[in-house]
Amino acid sequence: MLGMEGEMLKGHLDMIVLAALASGPAHGYAVIEEIRRRSGDAFNLPEGTVYPALHRLEEAGLLSSRWTTAESGRKRRVYALTKRGTGALAEQRAVWKQFSAAIAGLLAGRTPA
Amino acid sequence: MIPEYAESLARQLSFDPALSRSVRQEVEDHLWEAAGDGSPELQRRAIAAFGDPQLIARQLAAAAVSGRARRTGVALVLALAGVFLAMNARLGWYELTQWGVCEQTRTLGDAVALVDRLAFWCAALGAAAAAWAYRRHLVAFFVLCAVTTGAILTSVACDAALTALRLAGWEWSTYFAIPLATMAAEIACAAVLVAELRATPLAYLRENT
Repeated sequence: MLGMEGEMLKGHLDMIVLAALASGPAHGYAVIEEIRRRSGDAFNLPEGTVYPALHRLEEAGLLSSRWTTAESGRKRRVYALTKRGTGALAEQRAVWKQFSAAIAGLLAGRTPA
Repeated sequence: MIPEYAESLARQLSFDPALSRSVRQEVEDHLWEAAGDGSPELQRRAIAAFGDPQLIARQLAAAAVSGRARRTGVALVLALAGVFLAMNARLGWYELTQWGVCEQTRTLGDAVALVDRLAFWCAALGAAAAAWAYRRHLVAFFVLCAVTTGAILTSVACDAALTALRLAGWEWSTYFAIPLATMAAEIACAAVLVAELRATPLAYLRENT
């Protein structure tokens, strides 16, 4: 599968990260793995760019984080969706559905129902 | 290889030592996990996949500064409201207890009260201007917060002087509790605001304007 353009992804990165955390708390590396797995490796972003998004979403109150100790003994920061984050994801999902239906209709040359 | 990379990224966030430390730990954890057995080749690949440290540091700094601006803004509004409420509670108490001003200090008290009022109005205007600048210009926002903090400090200093003038010459009694407690509340509000403002990432703002 072709890797999606970075610029195209950037605008949706926050939504992608929120969606990756919808299944449960995870640390940065696991978030990236989840994005890869669920997108079928379509998203080809530098891994480091996910961290500013995680920090931004935490600052906005959509994520919370806590430090744990991994099996390796390393300190690990684990992120989880907050109540507000879950709400924001649901909202963004609805907007995205509308948007993609409109684009699909546009590209197919038909009027949406 | 990985510690050096994490260090180079963390160094660029040195304006906020706590952020710098936590990012370093977080990035190292990520890279060691991505590097599997930790062979030099896998470390190199993990670093390459992570991306340009300067770009990532800039994005992390932007997220941190925006959070700092929000906290400073909230502290500013709360401090202003706190000073206003404490000031009015004290004046209400003076009225309730019919606690007058000593004639000898009336002129001085009136002059200090005028400065106090002016400083407080300047603070209120400064806070309104800072709110306007909040999403438009970060540097202007922090400058306005600093100016507003100066005005709040002036107002609190005037309140302290006015309280001292009002209490002077009276025997210590339980009636002092309200003026002293409200004065302590004002000083606490101002101290919290100053502490918040002192954490402003000046280096980051200088580099990005």
